[in-house]
Amino acid sequence: MSALTFTLKANLSQPVDCRALTPNLLAGLSIAQINAIKLGTQKVTDLFEVSGSDTEQIVFKNSTAKLDYIGFKMSRGSIIITDDAGNFLGAHLQKGTIICQGNAGDRVGDQMRRGLILVDGNAGDYVASRMIAGTIGVYGKVGSYIGFNMKRGTLLLTQKPTLHATIQDCGTHNLPFLALLFASFKQLTSVFNQVESQRVQRFGGDLACGGVGEILLILT
Amino acid sequence: MRGTRVIITAQNLKWAYHAANAMTGFATSVIGCGVEAGIERELSETETPDGRPGVAILMFAMGSKVLMQQLETRMGQCILTCPTAAAFSGIDSEDMISLGKHLRYFGDGFQTSKQISGKRYWRIPVMDGEFLTQETTGMVRAIGGGNFLILATSQAQALQAAETAIEAMKKVPNVIMPFPGGVVRSGSKVGSKYKTMFASTNDAFCPTLKGLTKTELSPEIESVMEIVIDGLTFEDIALSIKLGIEAICTLGDNSGVKRISAGNYGGKLGPHLFKLHEILK
Repeated sequence: MSALTFTLKANLSQPVDCRALTPNLLAGLSIAQINAIKLGTQKVTDLFEVSGSDTEQIVFKNSTAKLDYIGFKMSRGSIIITDDAGNFLGAHLQKGTIICQGNAGDRVGDQMRRGLILVDGNAGDYVASRMIAGTIGVYGKVGSYIGFNMKRGTLLLTQKPTLHATIQDCGTHNLPFLALLFASFKQLTSVFNQVESQRVQRFGGDLACGGVGEILLILT
Repeated sequence: MRGTRVIITAQNLKWAYHAANAMTGFATSVIGCGVEAGIERELSETETPDGRPGVAILMFAMGSKVLMQQLETRMGQCILTCPTAAAFSGIDSEDMISLGKHLRYFGDGFQTSKQISGKRYWRIPVMDGEFLTQETTGMVRAIGGGNFLILATSQAQALQAAETAIEAMKKVPNVIMPFPGGVVRSGSKVGSKYKTMFASTNDAFCPTLKGLTKTELSPEIESVMEIVIDGLTFEDIALSIKLGIEAICTLGDNSGVKRISAGNYGGKLGPHLFKLHEILK
């Protein structure tokens, strides 16, 4: 079975809420049923060319920053976005893997509980906001207020971010668990599959909500 | 019996052995120690979950409750405390028991969990950095107490033969020889003349009692050494016994070894019988 693929037909003028297109919600549906799903005022078929059949692996092609809420409340499987994604990528993620090979908008992983989100490009503001647990990686730049109200979880970065006052510097360390984490990335189609350094600068927080979350800046 | 395997890694083999030796210390016999444990083998960087050198240990107990208690206690006192050491599950099973699940509370609220490839790990802040442990490990049915006896004309020759056997037996996976150096000199029989003792010296194999008890020893035998084997399956133990005895045989006629026997304790010590003649066919 090949991955269920949504290829965007044309540039969008308005944001589209894609929260209906997750493995858990599409399981068992036929292509016709999927084409009939309403995304706001339009149907899937109006926006996407749909191919493939494996609902556990979903691919978005030709995607743009207008596609919001991709992977919202996803509870299994994987989503790969070959280009850009909009706001709230992987928000409320319960389980599974989301890989964005382009840039992502604001609020990546907002309130996510478990699972993995990797963004190969840049991400907007409030990455990992209200994060409950899980792992987010952003290879490019991030915007402001990352980890805002983050309770637990890990945000991996490769470029030094601007942090707000309630995220605190815990120093530079070698963290053994990163060996396991990075080994698990090897099979993924993300630039993170090349990361190996276990040396990180660790920032803890968000202390404003008693958080034990962490932002790890990977040092090479 | 119930058994489990734990993989212990560290910065280098030296510290992996420090951790493993501590964890498998005072674990020669379930009779007095609760568990029988030992180092199964060394693991290279490519064989461990975190890419560091390590060792695999096996631990056996008479029941699941004791095994769980002993594993948690030994994890807390021997692995958590050992610099750079980490612990991982070494065996999958439907029955999963706590490895670091309860140990995490040592983190006093600063502990964090991480689920990676479907397995949960705990990261506990400690003074050397972070202690990493998998949450659970598998528990399986296992067999303990496989054994054979080496009867020789001197103590030195009996021990030399035992050491030769142990070196060969160490190469077999899924087994440990839990006694010091893998060898027992105080083999026991079931029962005693004293009511409080349920095991006592195996007088039939004690060379100094040859004239005083119903001995199993011929006149030239001056020393007997026993090798006890615990393993995950009957076949594993049988293979290790076979390789051990064959190794002794390679020592030749001048080894001083006159006979290989085994303790079957009148068949009272468990359901499994390792018949040496059949094993060696």
